[in-house]
Amino acid sequence: MQNLYIRELGIKYLHECLNRFNGSTGYLLLFFLLCVFLYFKGSEKEKKLFVPVAVIMGITVYNPLFPVIIAKVTDVSNEYYRFFWITPVIVLVPYMITKFILFIFDKENNDTNKKLYLVLGIVVIIFCSSFVYKDGFKIAENIYKMPNELIEISEIIHADSNDEYPKAFMDYEYNMMMRQYDPKMLLTIDREDYLYAVSRDYSTDMIYDKEKPQYRILAFLARGQVFETKTVLDGFDMTGTEYIVLETGNQAIDRLLNAGLSKVAETENRTILKYELKDKKPFELVDYSEVYANGW
Amino acid sequence: MIIVKACLLVILNLILYTSFGALVLSRKNKELSLGLSLITGFFVYYGLFFLVCLPYMIKYRPLSWLTRTWVPVAVCIVILSFIVCRKSLIKALSDLCLNIKSDKNTSIIIAAIVFVQIILVTITYNFTLDAAYYVANVTTSVNTDMINVYDPFTGLWQDHYEMRYFLATYSINDAVFCQLFNVEALVFTKTVMSATICIIVNVLYFMICRQLFTDNSKAVAIMMAVILFVNMTFSTIFTSSLFLLTRTYEGKTVVGNLSILAIFYIYMLIVTEKDVVSPWLNMFIICVCSLTISSSANMILPGEMLLLFVPQILMKKNFKTIPKLVACAVPGLIMAVVYVLYIEGYFVLYTYPTG
Repeated sequence: MQNLYIRELGIKYLHECLNRFNGSTGYLLLFFLLCVFLYFKGSEKEKKLFVPVAVIMGITVYNPLFPVIIAKVTDVSNEYYRFFWITPVIVLVPYMITKFILFIFDKENNDTNKKLYLVLGIVVIIFCSSFVYKDGFKIAENIYKMPNELIEISEIIHADSNDEYPKAFMDYEYNMMMRQYDPKMLLTIDREDYLYAVSRDYSTDMIYDKEKPQYRILAFLARGQVFETKTVLDGFDMTGTEYIVLETGNQAIDRLLNAGLSKVAETENRTILKYELKDKKPFELVDYSEVYANGW
Repeated sequence: MIIVKACLLVILNLILYTSFGALVLSRKNKELSLGLSLITGFFVYYGLFFLVCLPYMIKYRPLSWLTRTWVPVAVCIVILSFIVCRKSLIKALSDLCLNIKSDKNTSIIIAAIVFVQIILVTITYNFTLDAAYYVANVTTSVNTDMINVYDPFTGLWQDHYEMRYFLATYSINDAVFCQLFNVEALVFTKTVMSATICIIVNVLYFMICRQLFTDNSKAVAIMMAVILFVNMTFSTIFTSSLFLLTRTYEGKTVVGNLSILAIFYIYMLIVTEKDVVSPWLNMFIICVCSLTISSSANMILPGEMLLLFVPQILMKKNFKTIPKLVACAVPGLIMAVVYVLYIEGYFVLYTYPTG
């Protein structure tokens, strides 16, 4: 998990990891409670299938010492939560809910507490649940499942550029999506660099680091850090960035226009700027034909 | 037209995987399980694809060369499967039709549940970070006609292969299909593969439900509906349920929802002493071939094998199972070690000839 490290947190890591993994859901806890129930009340088959798994997972994966021990060999801070996927929640919980439904609606069973059990069951499920579309059910705008605006920006840049492979800086969301649609759009910033920029400012050393010109670009355009515009323009030259796509309203737009960039177009939510590179080198695919001529 | 093409590609995928699986699982005088053929066949397909892809990738050969090699291989395997297993396949298909006819209401309900999921995964818009790799790698591979040589995130040439992605050739198969059928990567990944994975996972759910509620089709239908409900409500950014509904086409999702659950299903059959063809061969195939789908399988699947079977070995004192368990778990651990060695700088695989 991002920003959660076993070597920093030690035995507290598991607790933090589980909190994030579970969020506002309670299905993992429900799984273990159902396993306890099966231990006392389940059939032999049910006990055989689920109880040993629950016990061994409780001793290992859900043991605070376990990630600490694994971390002695390799750091699994980012991936540890995937061990939770092994827990057969999607088998046991629906199975027990189904049995519960069959019990409630079994006309041959005249248990007088059925209504109470039903209410309790519904309350438990509500407490365990977090709806996947709680932030809204978004239908894709087109068959590509990409925003129409992204497609429009791609078309605008290609129409304006003389190159088959223009290079662009984009805001975070479109930077992650553009190459899924348009492989001929080169991007200045890769995923890992942008992930850093999402939550951290850049130091002065990083901004003026000539080995990593993308830092000054991210500092200026993504983090809104203030320094000489010429430094950013040098970054565009060093990276070969010709197009800059920013959300309209980004304060950097006016500063870039004042520094000599031109506005190519405005779309619904974004502004496309163009920088005249001092030494433009069109991108070409590497020619492997000589390598192939030498055989395997 | 594109929707028709997408539907046909989904059907083609299902036929491919079932054919591959039938060839492995078909036995004389034993009933062929269509479901297990589909699921095992999925992994066999990607495992074999990896073996064919690897020499082309290591020697930085074009994607089109791989496509020209893989297509005849796949076609031959399908034809061979139809020839060798035709009786088993025909019997299995006719049994399936009979079962559907004999319990139409349950079949319709289950089909509706699966259909709802297919609609959800194919029409909703979801922004996910990993798609920047999974889909962009497909578009980059098709556009450059190379395999993993160009960085999917930026488009620039890379001088070495990223080991994190090198062995997971799952998305390269997507690129082959896109090249072969002239389909856009976004359509193939987010529509065709999403629908395909959704169907396969639901077939597995159905098989699990039938094991738990034998001869009770009503209970099976209810459990399938409840599984959908739990998947829709066990939702945080880390759960496999969320991955299934919003990132269906990704390799991690396949590992989290198909590989892990398929191994659990076979574990159920073994523990309840059900008659199943070559359960350990099945598990070996799933464990090894999942490594070619996502590097997440390196640790998770060996971990799952140990967590499921060590208690059984200790309780039943069935130590003959240990070599089989080791055979299933060790490949993933080896891959994990290889990755650690790469991270520590012990070796690099370059994208150009050195020396």
